Amino acid sequence: MIFSTLEHILTHISFSIVSIVITIHLITFLGDEIVKLYDSSEKGIIVTFFCITGLLVTRWISSGHFPLSDLYESLIFLSWSFSLIHIIPYFKKNVLILSKITGPSAIFTQGFATSGILTEIHQSGILVPALQSEWLIMHVSMMILGYAALLCGSLLSVALLVITFRKNRKLFYKSNGFLNESFFLGENVFENTSFFSAKNYYRSQLIQQLDYWSYRVISLGFTFLTIGILSGAVWANEAWGSYWNWDPKETWAFITWIVFAIYLHTRTNRNLRGANSAIVASIGFLIIWICYFGVNLLGIGLHSYGSFPSTFN
Amino acid sequence: METLKISSRMSHVQSQILPLNIKPYPLIHNSRILGVYSNKGRTFSFTLTCKLNTVKGNKPSKEKTVSGRISAPGSDGAPPVVEAEEGSVGNGGRKVEEPKSSAVGSGLFKKLPRKVLGILSNLPLAIAEMFAVAALMALGTFIDQGEAPDYYFQKFPEDHPPLGFFTWRWVLTLGFDHMFSSPVFLGTLALLGASLMACTYTTQIPLVKVARRWSFLQSTETIRKQEYADTLPRASVKDLGVILMGAGYEVFLKGPALYAFKGLAGRFAPIGVHLSLLLVMSGGTLSAVGSFRGSVTVPQGLNFVAGDVLAPSGFLSTPSDAFSMEVHVNRFSMDYYESGEVSQFHTDLSLFDLNGKEVMRKTISVNDPLRYGGITIYQTDWSISALQVLKDDEGPFNLAMAPLQLNGGDKKLFGTFLPVGDDNSSNVKGISMLARDLQSVILYDKEGKFAGVRRPNSKLPIEIDGTKIVIEDAIGSSGLDLKTDPGVPIVYAGFGALMLTTCISYLSHTQLWALQDGTSVVVGGKTNRAKGEFPDTMNRLLDQVPELVESSSPEEPDTLSGF
Repeated sequence: MIFSTLEHILTHISFSIVSIVITIHLITFLGDEIVKLYDSSEKGIIVTFFCITGLLVTRWISSGHFPLSDLYESLIFLSWSFSLIHIIPYFKKNVLILSKITGPSAIFTQGFATSGILTEIHQSGILVPALQSEWLIMHVSMMILGYAALLCGSLLSVALLVITFRKNRKLFYKSNGFLNESFFLGENVFENTSFFSAKNYYRSQLIQQLDYWSYRVISLGFTFLTIGILSGAVWANEAWGSYWNWDPKETWAFITWIVFAIYLHTRTNRNLRGANSAIVASIGFLIIWICYFGVNLLGIGLHSYGSFPSTFN
Repeated sequence: METLKISSRMSHVQSQILPLNIKPYPLIHNSRILGVYSNKGRTFSFTLTCKLNTVKGNKPSKEKTVSGRISAPGSDGAPPVVEAEEGSVGNGGRKVEEPKSSAVGSGLFKKLPRKVLGILSNLPLAIAEMFAVAALMALGTFIDQGEAPDYYFQKFPEDHPPLGFFTWRWVLTLGFDHMFSSPVFLGTLALLGASLMACTYTTQIPLVKVARRWSFLQSTETIRKQEYADTLPRASVKDLGVILMGAGYEVFLKGPALYAFKGLAGRFAPIGVHLSLLLVMSGGTLSAVGSFRGSVTVPQGLNFVAGDVLAPSGFLSTPSDAFSMEVHVNRFSMDYYESGEVSQFHTDLSLFDLNGKEVMRKTISVNDPLRYGGITIYQTDWSISALQVLKDDEGPFNLAMAPLQLNGGDKKLFGTFLPVGDDNSSNVKGISMLARDLQSVILYDKEGKFAGVRRPNSKLPIEIDGTKIVIEDAIGSSGLDLKTDPGVPIVYAGFGALMLTTCISYLSHTQLWALQDGTSVVVGGKTNRAKGEFPDTMNRLLDQVPELVESSSPEEPDTLSGF
């Protein structure tokens, strides 16, 4: 009883803080940057982080198993990972761009998890036999940390694409024909056409920053994903009798892994860097969602634990 | 020396300047020497190179002090020096290993024509292959796998094919009904593996050779051209070296020139990633061609011979002695949550060898398989095989249970039928019994109306249509999967290496050069991954370099070159 009350309180606190932070973000987005407001939204995320941590711990104690056995719990864990990625650079005080992505991501996942869509499965359920293993903690937490980092990184790449394309279009109106050869190489275009204008300088700085941080965050996420997939394979060899079963979820995780491996390889080549790698990362963004939600929506394969409740009936 | 005015921190630095200066000698020549002594122990090769080089260094009088200094740090316990020495020794060990792998690689590839290698190691091709593999896998999840041809005739008809052209002919000719073992998919994977090997050989291993060559930059111009460059006025390159050592760099000093690096492992780890991927691929191939697999459902109390169940999967599958082993299912049981849901399945297994001797006994459950002689037995499934029933105190009769088809869901239901009355009449009626698990049995009378629920073992009789029925026991049968897989150790080794090298790949390889230019030090550096934080960390490091007082400056270069 105490646990469920505590859980309720923590859910509501985190959700209301998240909604306040959304409002603050909207205000700062629409109006000018108000430092105080921005700072309070940062603090809000930190409080949310601790609330979600508390929520997870409560669920862990009350259910007796690691709280990652269904979709609701994994969503909560995903938003926990987002807020974790959010607050680490906050303490290092150097990556403002990253927090612009992680903050809203945490907000949306938390909002989605606590919203009415998934109310039926809020009760922490039982653990089916196949999930009763120490590997659960390692596999699922690594996978979701990986998803969170990869989502952040690929969102940064999406932002890069949006900025590059908008700029290119503007320039396109100004100087027709010039762009034909270097449509994707946004920085070259910038260097050749408009010199030293402060706005453009800021923009190219921003593009560089986006590019760099999406690369770093994706490589971190890729590491997590690798560990997650491999620990999953070892677990599968214990529980299902083979380390690889070509189960849909497995396959999609592998596809995700390959797509981000492609991203990392495009980064090593000077000609493919920039917008091309950003396009690959954006494809990766879609594929993570297919892997995380899409496969569960179909409710097929061995990984049917994380499904939506409707598929059980 | 006394003209140097140095802060309190620097006094402790003074004592370490000598060992720091010894470093450059081994390292100028060391790549060759370490190769020669590669078979010997790490520390041994290190001391050897030191001696060799000090002899070359034309200062025989200093030799004793030099070797003394080298052994000293351990006993002195001066932390930074010890740390540096360990680092360089470890580093030497790594260098010793690299040539080996390249030697193996060159032996394997020398016969292959260069052209093929060149094409295969082409990055855009590799990327295209990865995309192809990803696309095929995605397709494999969209097309239902392993169905009968009729299914595909209906799903991909010729008159209204999906996407306008994708008929069943495509699916069946290309083998997409069993995508993950189809020649198209396996061929693409093999091509990717070939690219991986070619790339490792032509691009990555030469990279090691380049990275192993350290160079002191002798002109301030080249240093200033680096990604990051700065000039420290009134500073000494030695102080910089000490600061860098404290920050975990490997530092090499030669006269006025300094070279330092950090995170060399991060440069080499991607090669490790590729090699371990190849290891995983080869292990997977071995699994595919050399394993046995089989599944069996055994009622509690019965036994089977492992070799009868196991079927070979490829041409390399060879049975072992353990195949003659007899497996006896002593007991099958289920654990339940309070809500009635199943929490775990247990099967108590005994293994008997040819002489009938019990060699192993273990209760397996999901996530806890039995391993013996290369055979692994997994708990994967269950069913109810029979109900033991007393009819009017007669019996017990064993009523075989049959699985009933449910529309959807993974819940199971088993049923059986006990005829009542005249067995010979054409219209036999009786009592139906249904069970979802081993906990309770639901009984229906002749008319199909609900009669009651009884737990097995409860001994509580139930009267249906004048017949007294006692359900003695429900006998479960255990669904077991057996396999042997010689590829697992290789795959696991690949997994371990892959995890490790992927983590190390996150490290950034940083190289720094510095040159004493009069009283000032020109510092330049580059890093391969953490480019964003690099200027900040460098600025923070360089801020720590102490500023020297003016008067000492003219003598400064002399003191340095004296070493």
